Amino acid sequence: METFIQLVVDGLATGSIYAALALAIVLVNQATGLINFAQGGMAVLSAYIAYVFVQLGLPIIVAILIAVVLSFVFGALVERFLVRRFERGDPDTAVVVTIGLLTLVTGISAVLWGYNNLAFPSLFPLTSVEILGAVVSVRSLATAVTIVVIMVVLQLLFLRTKLGLALRAVADNPSSAAFSGLPVGRLLMVGWGLAATLGAIAGVLVAPQLTLTPGMLDTALVYALAAVILGGLNSPIGCVVAASAIGVLENLVAVYVPLIGHDLKIAVPFVLIFVILILRPQGLFGRKVVVRV
Amino acid sequence: MSTAAATVRRRRVRLVLVAVVAVLLVAAPLILPAFANQTLVRIGVYAVAVLGLNIIMGYTGQVNLGQIFFVGLGAYVTAYGVNHGWNILLVFVAACAIAGVVGLLVALAAARLGGLAIAMVTIALPIVGVPLAKRLADFTGGSQGVSARFTDAPDWSGLANDQWQFYIVLVVVAGAFLLARSLVHGKYGRAFAAVRENEAVAASMGISPYRTKVLAFTIASVFGGASGFLYLAAVQYTSPETLSFGHSISLLAAMVIGGAGSIAGSLLGGAYYVLVPQLTNAIDPNLTTVSQGAILLAVLFLLPGGLVSLPRVVRRLTRRPPARRSISRPAAETSQQTTPAHRPVPDAAPEEREQTERQDGP
Repeated sequence: METFIQLVVDGLATGSIYAALALAIVLVNQATGLINFAQGGMAVLSAYIAYVFVQLGLPIIVAILIAVVLSFVFGALVERFLVRRFERGDPDTAVVVTIGLLTLVTGISAVLWGYNNLAFPSLFPLTSVEILGAVVSVRSLATAVTIVVIMVVLQLLFLRTKLGLALRAVADNPSSAAFSGLPVGRLLMVGWGLAATLGAIAGVLVAPQLTLTPGMLDTALVYALAAVILGGLNSPIGCVVAASAIGVLENLVAVYVPLIGHDLKIAVPFVLIFVILILRPQGLFGRKVVVRV
Repeated sequence: MSTAAATVRRRRVRLVLVAVVAVLLVAAPLILPAFANQTLVRIGVYAVAVLGLNIIMGYTGQVNLGQIFFVGLGAYVTAYGVNHGWNILLVFVAACAIAGVVGLLVALAAARLGGLAIAMVTIALPIVGVPLAKRLADFTGGSQGVSARFTDAPDWSGLANDQWQFYIVLVVVAGAFLLARSLVHGKYGRAFAAVRENEAVAASMGISPYRTKVLAFTIASVFGGASGFLYLAAVQYTSPETLSFGHSISLLAAMVIGGAGSIAGSLLGGAYYVLVPQLTNAIDPNLTTVSQGAILLAVLFLLPGGLVSLPRVVRRLTRRPPARRSISRPAAETSQQTTPAHRPVPDAAPEEREQTERQDGP
């Protein structure tokens, strides 16, 4: 039972990292209708930036805040100067653009910091607490709680502020939004910036555990994409639920199903996808999209 | 000059060109040093993989991030077959068929998702494939990988190993390219194009987008399997590293840089895949990834048709006036306009043309 609780809490922590990345992907998709495969790569770059400021002797929290702000700017610039040209065109080309961006960003990290694993300091203490008789690390708990708080803030931003309303308007119908006087281009930049910020937070939270390498989040990106497919591209809540479920499930399967084990646990969400696709093609929480000719 | 005569002449030129290239390819390994032969062989190996990717992505418009998985699968099947003493033709068929069947199963599920979701599912193939290959150690040799030699030149041929490999790869590559060319120019090629352009229109014409996507994905997997067979013929060794995520991205980059939706572009893509990393590795291994990203983005911005469209773009930029002239001439002859003011091209050249046309005309 103790192992079980421990596994569930650890699973929720990794699941919350996947959820943050998945939410970033949904955010970009809602705003610009494309899938940003570079979301993980950009998050790794943010973690490296935080690492640089930590090396300069700044306290970790300040370094993270600086990295988060820079990520917002970087995300907005990427939207303006790279993605804008491909936004309303062929979605396949736009996807290839984000894959090119992933390669470029990973390459930049590799050139600047090399492929060796770098130790990243943890924001949270490495102690553990006892819950229901199980030993649970504070880092796992705090990671999950941080991500949940950020999601609530984001939800409030979208539902309770004028900026959120404008962002939703642009996502819903860019031309109508433009007619009613909204600065569509700048709002798209804000959307990408917010997504990059979310990714950056996920990156710095997971970096102590995975240690920094240019490809650190490749696997997490795959989990996030799986969560997006399962939850449905148009359902942020669905993605968060799916990501947490994936995190918990893969942890449990890795320990309790020896046939799969730790090395093959990444196959779990995809087996799940295959099963669900056959039963519910629009995702667990997604709406059926009707295409008009 | 009539256009029919021009077409006949162009066809003759093309036939001569093909013959010259064929002779060159057959003669090349006898003259070139071993290193050049090996490089050409590896270009052939990856050209087939890129060609398969082109069928699903360039022609059918479905982003596939898992092509390298099928290359690795083909390589493992080949190694297994060779090490168990199967007939080499049987090994080749098995490499293609097993990759095809796995591709079919993946496609049956993945194609149920619309558009970009196929990319999101196929990205998992190499990421799941690497630990899977390590796990199935009895079959794959685990992390150590597995080697198999079957392409040593037989004594009667009097050839060196690299020359013999060159001919094996040449035969399979030529076959693959001819097959792909017929495929995309025929009924299925038109179905692929219809699905790429507009699925609703394709469906209304009786082309099932789902079945077409599954078909294209399966064919792409078969080409991947064939490429894996060639990989083992050339390298004689494979390991989980063969099907890593980075290689899958590189394959996609090579396809786009060579030219999406182009048979010749696949060959250029194969050449890019082999040559550019060789070059950047020689300068600084850390540069390989960043240069690939930069080149891919530069091509997308400046040359969306890929390297294969470069001659066309250069021609359009350098010889604009003559090109227009040859197009507008038949129209001018029939409409018999005489006033230069109505011409869309207010240059000196049209004036000149007007005069010659008036002399020609009745």
